[in-house]
Amino acid sequence: MQLRRQPLSAPRPGDTRPAAQRLAVPLLLLLALQGAAASGEPEDSGWLQDAEPSSRLLSQAARAALHFFNFRAASPSALQVLASVLDGRAWVNQKKEYKFDLVFTTEFYRAEEGEKRLGTCSAQVFFRNDKPRPAVNVTCTQLIKKERRQEEDYQLYKLMKQLKSPLNAVRIPDSHGYIAPSLRPIWNLAFLGSSYVMWQKTTPFLHYFMSQISSVKQWKTNDDAIDFDYTVLLHEFSTQEIIPCRIHLVWYPGKPLKVKYHCQERQTPEEGSGTEEGSAVALTELSNF
Amino acid sequence: NFYDPMDCSLPGSSVCGISQAKILEHQVFRINVRNEDEISKLNQLMNSDNLKLDLWKSPSTLGHPADVLVPSFSLREVKSFLEDHGLEYSVTVEDLQTVLDSEDRKLQRNVRQELSSNCFNYGAYHTLEAIHKEMDFIVKSYPRLVSAVKIGHSFENRLMYVLKFSTGKGSRRPAIWLNAGLHAREWIAPATAIWIARKIACDYGRDLVITSILKKMDIFLLPVANPDGYVYTHTHNRLWRKTRSVNPGSTCIGTDPNRNWNSHFGGAGTSRDPCSDMYHGPHPHSEVEVKLVADFIAHHGDFKCFIDLHSYSQLVMYPYGYMTMRAGDADELDIVAQNAANAMASLSGTQYRVGSVGSTLYASSGNSVDWAYDNGIKYAFTFELRDTGFYAFTLPADQIIPTAQETWLGLKTIMEHVQNKI
Repeated sequence: MQLRRQPLSAPRPGDTRPAAQRLAVPLLLLLALQGAAASGEPEDSGWLQDAEPSSRLLSQAARAALHFFNFRAASPSALQVLASVLDGRAWVNQKKEYKFDLVFTTEFYRAEEGEKRLGTCSAQVFFRNDKPRPAVNVTCTQLIKKERRQEEDYQLYKLMKQLKSPLNAVRIPDSHGYIAPSLRPIWNLAFLGSSYVMWQKTTPFLHYFMSQISSVKQWKTNDDAIDFDYTVLLHEFSTQEIIPCRIHLVWYPGKPLKVKYHCQERQTPEEGSGTEEGSAVALTELSNF
Repeated sequence: NFYDPMDCSLPGSSVCGISQAKILEHQVFRINVRNEDEISKLNQLMNSDNLKLDLWKSPSTLGHPADVLVPSFSLREVKSFLEDHGLEYSVTVEDLQTVLDSEDRKLQRNVRQELSSNCFNYGAYHTLEAIHKEMDFIVKSYPRLVSAVKIGHSFENRLMYVLKFSTGKGSRRPAIWLNAGLHAREWIAPATAIWIARKIACDYGRDLVITSILKKMDIFLLPVANPDGYVYTHTHNRLWRKTRSVNPGSTCIGTDPNRNWNSHFGGAGTSRDPCSDMYHGPHPHSEVEVKLVADFIAHHGDFKCFIDLHSYSQLVMYPYGYMTMRAGDADELDIVAQNAANAMASLSGTQYRVGSVGSTLYASSGNSVDWAYDNGIKYAFTFELRDTGFYAFTLPADQIIPTAQETWLGLKTIMEHVQNKI
C-alpha cells in the first residue's frame, strides 16, 4: 500500500484528536478494500499504477463517486459534498482507461452552520475509454441514522408540497448568492437531480459543479410524487464552460429518483453533435447506507 | 453588522442619503455656552430632527465650548438660530476636506466616522459604478496615502481604475501589484479587493506590518480588471467570464483575459475558438485591459510582487501554469504560499491548498502570473478564493467580509516576505 504525500486536511479548530486516531478509520476501510480489490481486479493487464496521482485527479474521481452516491441515496436532506481526499491510488491502462481507489471525507450539504459533520467514504471509480458515466462502487459511513434521514426527507417533502407553483424565471441562488429559505427545498432537490447528470458526464478530464438553477419550468405535486422540471447551469471546470441542462425528475421520499436530462453543449470543432441525452432506469435500492 | 477590529469602522449601512461630496461641505461650529439657559438652547438645537446635527465635543463644564458638526443643508438654519438666541459661535472648520488634508488625527477620525455613515456596504456586492465611487471616496478620505491612478479605458470605454498607496511622496519605489476581477463572474474578488483598499488605508499608521511595508514599498490595487465583463454580469449574464471585445468573423464575444498575457501564449489550457471560455485572443495583449496593466508594470520597471485574485477553489498558487514543471523559484514560492495559506486558515479555519498553477488547478498558458514571473517579478501568486464549489461563483454576500479578512492575512504574509527580501 502506498500512502502518497497527500496533504491531509489540517486539524480544524477544536479537533484535538491525535492524528493517528483520525487516520484510523480510513486506514481500516482501506485495508478492508485491499482485500476486496485484490480479488476483484480486472483480468486484462496493462494497468500501470500512477505513482503520484495529482490531488486534482483524485478529487475529480472522488466527486464522481459522490455524485453517484447522492443520486442513489435519493435523499435531498442528506446530500454530501467532498471535504478532502485522504488517500487515493490511480491506475491507467493502454486503452486510456482510468481506475481509482479512494478514501475521502465528506460534509453534509446543509444550510445550518452549526452541524459540521464529517463522513468518510471509500470508493472505486472506473472510467472507460474517456467515456463518461464512470462505474462506481462506493460506501460511506452513516452520517445520520436512517430513520432520521427518512424523517427529514419527509419533512422536506411536506414543505415542497406546500410550495406554490409559479416559480418561473426565478434564479436560485440569485446573483448575490442568496437562496430564500422557502426555496431551499427546491435547491436541494435540484442538486439531487444534478448529481445524476454530473455523475453521468464526469470523465477523467471533465468535471462539474452546479452553479445556478436558471429556470423552473414545472413544479407539480398533485399526485404523491414531486414532479420537477428545471434548467440548471453546470460549470465544467477544465474548460470553464457553463452548460445549461434541462432536467426532469420525479421524487418521492424513500423511492429511487427518476431523472431525464438534456444538456446543451457548446459546439466545438472536436466534439460531434454536442447534445447529450440520458435517462435513468428504475433502480434497485442499495441497502448499505 | 460589519466592523473592522482595528476600529476603522467599515460599516454596513444600507441607507444612502448624502453623497460624499456634499458631506465634505459640512462645517464644524464651535458654540460657547455661558449659562444654563444657553445649554438648554443648545439642547433644543441638537434635538431638532431635521437639522441632523452631530455633537463632536460636548460642553463638559460651563465655559467650555461645544463642537458641533453642521451638515451643509442645515448651515443657514443653524446660523439663524444661534444669532436669534444670542449664542456665541465661530466656524472652526469651513469644510471637512481640509481636515482630511491636515495633520489633526483626532479631528480626522471624527470626519472619517462621519463619512463612514455613507452608502458603501462592504458586506454586499456592488455595481462597477458604486465600486468606483467608493474608490473616489477612499482617495478623498486618505489624500496623503492614496491616489487615483487611471491607467486607461476598457474595450467599451470604461475606466481602468487603480488605487496607489504610497508614502513615497513622488519617488518611484519598489512596488506590489494587487489584481482582481479579471474574470467577470468571480464577484468575490472585486468585493475582497475593495475591502482591502479600505483596510490598507485604515490600517496605515496603526498596524505594524502594513505600516512597515508602506514605508519601503508602494501598493497598486486594481479591484476591477475587467470592467466590461463585470458590468455584463450585472446586466445580462451573471456567469460571463471573458472580456467583451468583438471577435472579427465570429458572433462570439470576448477573450479570456487570463490567457491573453504574453507568456507561452496559445499553449496548453487555451482555445483558439472565439466562442470558448478559454479563448486566448488573436494575439498576446490583444485585450486592452491586459495591455494597459502589462504596459504599466513594464514601464514602471520596479515591481517585486504581483498577486491576482480569482475564485473559486480555495488555492494559493505560483507559476507556472503553462506546464506542470517547476519554476526555478518554486521551492521558495511554495513556502511563502504555504505560510500564506496557514495565515488564512488561522481566522476561520478555511483551508487553502497550495501548489503551482499547472499541477494544482489545470494547464493555463498566457496567464497573468506566468507573465509576471517571466518579466522579473519573482513573487507572483494567484489566489482562488472561496469556496470549493458549494456556491461557486454565486458566493453569498455574508461570506464577503470573512473572505476578505482571511485573504488579507494571506496577502500580508506574502508582502511581508517580499519586503524582507528586497
